[in-house]
Amino acid sequence: MARLIRTEKEVEGNYTEQWIVVEEDPLERWPAGALETVGKPVPREDGAERARGQATYTADLQLPGMLHAAVLRSPHARARVKRLDLSKVADTPGVRAVLGPDDLDVFTREPGYPGAPVAAAAADSYGQAARALDLAEVEWEVLDPLLDPDEAVREGSLHDEPERYERGDAEAGFAEADVVVEAEYRTQTVLHNSLETHQSVCEWNGDTLTVYISTQFIWGVRSEIAEKLGIPEDKVRVVCHYMGGGFGAKNHPGQYTFIGAEFAKRTGRPVRCALTRREENLASGNRHATIQRLKAGARADGTLTALQGEFVMAVGWEGFQSWTAGPMKMLYGCPNVSTVEYGAKINTSPNAAFRAPGFVEGTFGLECLLDEVAAKLEIDPLELRRRNHADVDLVDDRPFSSKNLIECYERAEPHWARRQEVRARSEGPWQRGVGMASQIWFGGGGPPSYAWVRVGSDGRATVITAMQDIGTGTRTAMAQIAAQELGLPIDRVQVALGDSARGPYAAISAGSSTVPSMGPAVRAAAHDAARQIIEIAAQRFHLEERVLSLQDGKVVSADDGSWEVEEVTGLLEDAQILGKGARGPNPTGMRVLTFGVQVAEIAVDVETGEIRVERVAAIHDVGRVINPLGASSQVEGGIIQGLGHTLSEERLLDPESGAVLTQTLDAYRMPTIADVPEIVTELVDIPDEHLTSLGAKGLGEPPIIPIAAAVANAIRDATGADVRSLPITREEMLRALAEAKEKARGAPAAV
Amino acid sequence: MELLRPSSLAELDGGVPIAGGTELVPLLRDGLVEAETLVDVREIVPRGISEGRIGAGTTLAELEVDPQVPHALREACASAASPQLRSMGTIGGNLLQATRCWYWRLKFPCYLHGGDRCHAREGTHREHAVFGNDRCASAHPSDPAAALLALGARVHTDRRDFPLDDLYRLPTDDDRGLTTLEPSELILELEVPQPQASTYLKAMDRRKWAFPLVGVAAARFEDGVRFGLAGVAPVPWTIADAEDLDSATPLPGTKYKLEIARALFRRALEAVT
Amino acid sequence: MSELTVNGQRYEIEAPVERSLADTLRTDLGLTGTKVACGEGHCGACTILLDGIPTLSCITLVHLVGDRDVTTIEGLRDHPLVDAFVRCDALQCGFCTPGQIVSASALVEADPNPSREEIRHAMSGNICRCGAYPKIEEAILTWQG
Repeated sequence: MARLIRTEKEVEGNYTEQWIVVEEDPLERWPAGALETVGKPVPREDGAERARGQATYTADLQLPGMLHAAVLRSPHARARVKRLDLSKVADTPGVRAVLGPDDLDVFTREPGYPGAPVAAAAADSYGQAARALDLAEVEWEVLDPLLDPDEAVREGSLHDEPERYERGDAEAGFAEADVVVEAEYRTQTVLHNSLETHQSVCEWNGDTLTVYISTQFIWGVRSEIAEKLGIPEDKVRVVCHYMGGGFGAKNHPGQYTFIGAEFAKRTGRPVRCALTRREENLASGNRHATIQRLKAGARADGTLTALQGEFVMAVGWEGFQSWTAGPMKMLYGCPNVSTVEYGAKINTSPNAAFRAPGFVEGTFGLECLLDEVAAKLEIDPLELRRRNHADVDLVDDRPFSSKNLIECYERAEPHWARRQEVRARSEGPWQRGVGMASQIWFGGGGPPSYAWVRVGSDGRATVITAMQDIGTGTRTAMAQIAAQELGLPIDRVQVALGDSARGPYAAISAGSSTVPSMGPAVRAAAHDAARQIIEIAAQRFHLEERVLSLQDGKVVSADDGSWEVEEVTGLLEDAQILGKGARGPNPTGMRVLTFGVQVAEIAVDVETGEIRVERVAAIHDVGRVINPLGASSQVEGGIIQGLGHTLSEERLLDPESGAVLTQTLDAYRMPTIADVPEIVTELVDIPDEHLTSLGAKGLGEPPIIPIAAAVANAIRDATGADVRSLPITREEMLRALAEAKEKARGAPAAV
Repeated sequence: MELLRPSSLAELDGGVPIAGGTELVPLLRDGLVEAETLVDVREIVPRGISEGRIGAGTTLAELEVDPQVPHALREACASAASPQLRSMGTIGGNLLQATRCWYWRLKFPCYLHGGDRCHAREGTHREHAVFGNDRCASAHPSDPAAALLALGARVHTDRRDFPLDDLYRLPTDDDRGLTTLEPSELILELEVPQPQASTYLKAMDRRKWAFPLVGVAAARFEDGVRFGLAGVAPVPWTIADAEDLDSATPLPGTKYKLEIARALFRRALEAVT
Repeated sequence: MSELTVNGQRYEIEAPVERSLADTLRTDLGLTGTKVACGEGHCGACTILLDGIPTLSCITLVHLVGDRDVTTIEGLRDHPLVDAFVRCDALQCGFCTPGQIVSASALVEADPNPSREEIRHAMSGNICRCGAYPKIEEAILTWQG
């Protein structure tokens, strides 16, 4: 029975209200813990294809007659194009078409960041196109770039009005505090650098455009392209079967897709527009840098009386300011909070969402600040977190749909208890210590999302979706959910995905949304199909439906009757069972969030500033865990990616010209296998009773959030040094050590 | 572009020599080196180790595991680059590798490129030099070169031989080159004395696969300990003792390197005595 | 013109001097299992074997390969490491995985039971942005089943 309801959906902190059509009645919740398939570790359904190199990524696609586009980009952070002559480019052998600012508004005559696209050429090979562009005659008027975010704030160069938030009375709160800590924290610009670069292949068939694209959001790309090109959405087909990493950077079509689509239209041939690795480092999105001026007030017993923060975000020439103040507003039960966020518009390349945008940066600042409070009050840092636990969401004054942060803290205890033993292992210049940090984030997903389940006479099921699996293993999770609901062994369930022409709308794979959005839809579709199987079985075996269930590939009756499911489905012959399901509404009036804590053990060589992260315990509360194997991979991956921005990754600019200096992967240094600590993962596998029939939240982002603060806090534990900026380079570490030494010397008596 | 493959030194006639290609291929692609002719020298440059002589065509991976090779050089090779690059790159090519200075690599019209300013000086220079940097502040990235300097290696080319120290020079207003090789001169072998003890310590900002922020090689011979430093000057650098670190000329953003250098120097000296 | 032996098959290659082995494999021979992620020799995604030695195909000129045997991931598709990687979940997006398996295959060929330290040393040239490293290590430790 269909009904129209209004529900609230959140993606990464943005709440939208929408009307949706809900088709099914809510399903019975599964019991907690591992079931026959759901909750069991299952290797990736498509693992072998990927491992063997048999998976075709967008980068591998070769269509007959395909052309390759190269883009001419501004070498200047801020400039005006006084003259642009592309005639020599067009005349170059191999070049089939050329585009400039008069052809497509993706190109600009007033580049506002290094790497801004000015023109492009499509040729038989990428090399031809790139070399042809070298012949472009461009006269630049180079202008002085605005690069400093604080200066941008002073000059009013902002993307939006400053975002202000107040609750309670922060001033009064500081007045009643026994201790006040103030500090400035800085985080750097971080680049996604997924291994498959941003790219798409566009092909027109008549008035239908097919876009093969490495993307996180098939349906969003489809609607954005349709809107921009002014064509109906069903004239755009978006395909993505395998993609090589996104982390938030690939939520949109990107300039490259519009360039490719236009070239494809003009030449009548398929056109690939792919970014080179250098272009990835130059202008494909980033986690923007932040400056955080924070203040915390607390009573002697550790309860926070006030939190205040000024957040300056180096958004770039375009982009959005992420929610850096989020953790300060949301993580603790502090009654008085005052924050202001500025999104600086400067001549650097636009930011893009990057795995928990804003919360990674904000958690670093907040959790380091809290540890400084704990140090001043001489209270155990973990205990301090407990004392400030928020039982209710104070931002919206709502209850949480589920919150097991206290449980996370309890499970952190045995790891936290290793502090003495770890410190005792300090020797020579290597000082060891332990630090922790809490995590809060979103992860409820929401409607719409749909799935179909098709069962044939052989008793095998195919889950038909048009979702994407960006490497997180969501494809396998969907197979598990369907298998569980259909009572089938997992090897009899397949998942089809990746093509907007071959399935219904699916949620974005960002904001930790896929499992909580698609999962319930898949379950509902499988339930629909299962119901139909049971209907047939009831007629076939002359039993009432209510005594029948599906288990382990069989139809089972309450009085111990049991038949292979193929006995029932075999009756279908060419007919099929088709089930359909939709993601139902989110719980009204509740905040759906994820929580966690990480404990890091580190060693610092106090003479050279080298930092080694030796062990990380990660405890996360993300509702029901569908696949513990895939889930632990997400946790490990998030931590390792987080260690990158903690210790060695930074996009560097020339301060005078604004040119990007770190364009290659030897200069932009991501962790290798040699940098990996021992990682112990614990998932508090308690289903969220209010969130859909699955009770599962998203896990993609939580693990990357607290690691930087946990490491910084461990460094303080080991050495007494306060690191205040990321990455913690040798220079920063030595600076902090020297500062700590100075403080110790200046202290009136031995500490 | 043409590719020639001479089978003897006598056949060598101009062109840019290529062996492993790990250095040259990227430089060619970026237009940092121009070549109309590439000369595959793998058949005419000796490869292998015997009796203190190392063929310039020996790869870093081969040096890394050979017990005849002094520790400092083995450790320098083991800590250099990535496993694949070590398997492909030759020691001869490694000694001649160009700086990773981003201004140079991105073709800023800098001093090393023939211009008159060093962009790193006023710019972002955290990976740059603390010695020999009044004209150009780039850092030499070769770990093995530092080890070979400490070991007192001699270079044998197709026309002469000389101490490794003499292979390098700081750029000057009339000549921006960093090596003293004559046009078409080819390094054939290295003569490497056997020390009593040697070591190489390297500071880099991930555990593996990174260029030296500071690398210190120490080698003890009968007549004393010699040192070689990587990552601190436009060319591989030697110092005689710790006091020489006091005469360094760091930039504001490379001062931290001296602290690291002092610690590694002390540890390297300790390790060989 | 050069002759190339790839996964035991002989091919004739017509290409300019500048042509990389990676491009030849992917575009001319249709062997797209080998990925190009940086094209400059920094990330290891393009790793193949030349006479069993892990080599970066993106900076290898095809005409310098000579008579060395080229092994790509396609030639290793039945290697037990593939099952080990899948079983251990040693991959996420999978883009770096062929390169990882190629490097790992050379390691276990030389030493079937490498230590963690040896694994880290041999695999440090294969970047994985998704961070599948802990399970890659486990797959190599347990590849013999």
